[in-house]
Amino acid sequence: MDEEYDAIVLGTGLKECILSGMLSVSGKKVLHIDRNKYYGGESASITPLEELFAKFNAPAPDETYGRGRDWNVDLIPKLLMANGLLVKLLIHTGVTRYLEFKSVEGSYVYKGGKISKVPVDQKEALASDLMGMFEKRRFRNFLIYVQDFQEDDAKTWKDLDPNTANMQSLYDKFGLDKNTQDFTGHALALYLNDNYLQQPAIQTIRRIKLYSDSLARYGKSPYLYPMYGLGELPQGFARLSAIYGGTYMLDKPIDEIVLGEGGKVVGVRSGNEIAKCKQVYCDPSYVPDRVRKKAQVIRCICLLDHPIPNTKDALSTQIIIPQKQVGRHSDIYISVVSYTHQVAAKGWFIAMVSTTVETNDPESEIKPGLDLLGPIRQKFVSVSDYYEPIDDGTQSQIFISESYDATTHFETTCLDVIKIYKYGTGEDFDFSKVKVELGEEEQ
Amino acid sequence: MAMVKTPVLKVILCGEYGVGKSSIFRRFINNTFVPNSDRRSTLGLDHFEKPYQLTDKTVKLQLWDTGGMERIASVTSSYYKFAEAAILVFSLDNASSFHVLSQHLLDIVTYAENAKIFLCGNKSDLEGSSPQVTDADIETFCEQCHNLISTTYKTSCKNGTGIEEMFTDIAMQLVESNRSRIELQTLDHNSFKISNPDPVDEPSCSC
Ligand SMILES: Cc1cc2nc3c(=O)[nH]c(=O)nc-3n(C[C@H](O)[C@H](O)[C@H](O)COP(=O)(O)OP(=O)(O)OC[C@H]3O[C@@H](n4cnc5c(N)ncnc54)[C@H](O)[C@@H]3O)c2cc1C
Ligand SMILES: Nc1nc2c(ncn2[C@@H]2O[C@H](COP(=O)(O)OP(=O)(O)O)[C@@H](O)[C@H]2O)c(=O)[nH]1
Ligand SMILES: [Mg+2]
Repeated sequence: MDEEYDAIVLGTGLKECILSGMLSVSGKKVLHIDRNKYYGGESASITPLEELFAKFNAPAPDETYGRGRDWNVDLIPKLLMANGLLVKLLIHTGVTRYLEFKSVEGSYVYKGGKISKVPVDQKEALASDLMGMFEKRRFRNFLIYVQDFQEDDAKTWKDLDPNTANMQSLYDKFGLDKNTQDFTGHALALYLNDNYLQQPAIQTIRRIKLYSDSLARYGKSPYLYPMYGLGELPQGFARLSAIYGGTYMLDKPIDEIVLGEGGKVVGVRSGNEIAKCKQVYCDPSYVPDRVRKKAQVIRCICLLDHPIPNTKDALSTQIIIPQKQVGRHSDIYISVVSYTHQVAAKGWFIAMVSTTVETNDPESEIKPGLDLLGPIRQKFVSVSDYYEPIDDGTQSQIFISESYDATTHFETTCLDVIKIYKYGTGEDFDFSKVKVELGEEEQ
Repeated sequence: MAMVKTPVLKVILCGEYGVGKSSIFRRFINNTFVPNSDRRSTLGLDHFEKPYQLTDKTVKLQLWDTGGMERIASVTSSYYKFAEAAILVFSLDNASSFHVLSQHLLDIVTYAENAKIFLCGNKSDLEGSSPQVTDADIETFCEQCHNLISTTYKTSCKNGTGIEEMFTDIAMQLVESNRSRIELQTLDHNSFKISNPDPVDEPSCSC
C-alpha cells in the first residue's frame, strides 16, 4: 500500500468502478479499495440467499427457496436502457464482453387501480386499454410528430419552438388528455414528477426518442437486464481497471483521508499505512463530512413464488405508478426479474418496489406497489439516505459521487460519472478513447 | 459446413499470484516467455481465442487471465461465469501455492458450477530432484476433492514443456463431455451480448 498513486478510488460501487476503469485506461496509476470483502458496495448482488436474509436479520430461508447460491439479489433495482448511456459505455469499453443480457419482457403503467402494458408499437397502441378511441388517434399523431422531429430541421417542428415552448403546450397542441400525458411523461419519458411540463418540450422529445430508439434495439421493451444480476456491472469495470494495471484491495478499512496544503488531498490512511495520491474518487459513505442529505429512498425487495398478476406471466417487467395516480409527488417504480436471469432459484421472482420518501411512514407509501404483486413470501425493506457532495471537488481533489437515486435506470448514474470525470481530469469523457484492443476476436 | 459457427469455450486460469498464470497466458497467445514477469507485457490483454482442430471438429479455446486481481484482492466472481473449464495452477517449486488450491477450487465450484476442472503444476523446470510438491501430494489432493479434477498436467513456461499438449488435451476433453451441449449452444441461448448497432459509424479499425 505504501506507494504513490495518481488516483485512489474508494468503494467498488458501479460509479466508482466505471471511474476506476476509465482512469486506468487513460494511463493513470490507480489504487482501488473497498472496506467490504466483496465487490460492488451498494450495487452488489447479494449471494447466497442466506446472506440476504442475514443482512436483514431475518431467520434463514427454508428449503422451498431452493439452493441459496442460485440467488443473486440486487440491493438497488435498475434496468439498462438499450440505447442509453450505460450501454454505450459498456460497448465502448469492451466491458460488454463479460456480460450477457436479456430483454425485459414488458413495461407496464398503472392507471385507475390496474396496470396496462405500455404499448410498444402501433398495433399494441390501438389495442391498448390506456386510451379511448379518439384519444388513440391524437396520441398516434403525437408519436408521429416525435418520430419525425429533427432537432436541426425547424420544418419538422410544426410551428412550435421546442426550445422555448414548454411540454404542456405541446401536449395541448395535440389535445392529449391528462391520463395520456401521465403515461407519456412517466412511462415513456421516465420523469419522476411533473416539473417537466413547464420545461422546454425538447427535453421530453429527446427522452421519448431515447425510449423508442431503445425499443428498436431489441424488441420487447426498451430495457435490458444482465444475467446474474446488476452486481456483474461494477465487476466488469473493475476487471477493466485491473487489466489496465489498476491495483485492487478489498476488506481494507479506511481510517482517514489525509489532507495537505490548502486542504488538498495527499493520501489515504488505513491503520498505520498511508498510500499517497494526487486525487481521491469515492462514494458518500467514505466522506460523511463532505456530503449532505438530499432525500431518502425506500426500497422493498419482495421474493415471490409466482409471476406478477396481469403481466401475462412475464419473467421480467417494469411497472411505473405515476405520482398523480396515487396522489403523490414522485412515482413508484417496480422492477421484476426472475430465475430466467439466474438471480433466483427455479420458479422464483424478485420484485423491487421503490420510491422517493415523502412522509414519515415510507412503508405505507409503497403500498400501492406492493398491492400489485400478489402474495409476497418474504419482504425486506430499507430506507436509505440519498447524499450529494457539498462541492465539486476541484479544491480538495476529492471527487464524490451521488448516492443511487430512486430511478430504475442508469441514465442519471452515467451522467454523474461523466460529470465527476470531467471535474477530475479536466477532460470530457471520451468514449472513443477506450476503443481498445482488449480482445482479439473483433479484429 | 462453412455456415456452422465454431463453438467458443471459455477457459479460465485460477491460482495464487506468481504461479505463472500470465506466463501460461502469454505462451498460449504467442508462445513466448518473459523471465521477470513485467506486468505491463500483458497489460490491456483480457482474453485470447485460438482454434483447435480435432479429428472431426474445430473448437476455439478462449483463455482468460485474472488481470492480477488476485494479488491483494479476490478475483471478481463474474470472471468465472460462463466458464467451460478452469485450470487450477500452482507452482511446483512452491508448496504453499499448492496448499491453498482448495480455496481456489471452492471459488470455481461456487461461481463456475459447470466448469470442468484441470490441475496444472507449472515451473516443472524448477522441480529438481527433491520436489516441493510430490506426485503423491497431488494424488492425495485429487482424491480429497472427490475427483473433481479431470486431469493433471505439468508444464514449464520457461522452456515451453507441456503447454500445447495441455491445451490440446483440454480442447479434446471439452468436446467429448460437451458434445450435446455444444450442438445446442446456439439454439438454447436466448440471452445475448450487446454490441454496436451500426458498425458503419465506427471508425474502421486498421490495427
Ligand atoms: C422505469 C423508469 C422509470 C423511471 N421512472 C422514473 C421515474 O419514474 N422517475 C424518475 O425519475 N425517474 C424515473 N426514472 C428516471 C428518470 O428518467 C430521470 O432519470 C429522473 O427523473 C431524473 O430527472 P431529473 O429531472 O432530476 O433530471 P433531469 O435534469 O431531467 O435529467 C438530467 C439529464 O439526464 C438526462 N436523462 C435523464 N433521464 C434520462 C432518460 N431516461 N433518458 C434520457 N436522458 C435522460 C436528461 O436528458 C438530462 O440531460 C425512471 C426511470 C425508469 C427507468
Ligand atoms: N522458471 C520458471 N519461471 C516461471 C515459469 N512460469 C512463470 N515463471 C515466472 O514466475 C513469475 C510469475 O509469473 P506470472 O506469469 O506473472 O504469474 P501469475 O501471477 O500467476 O500471473 C514470473 O517471474 C515468471 O517469469 C516457469 O515455468 N518456470
Ligand atoms: Mg498474472
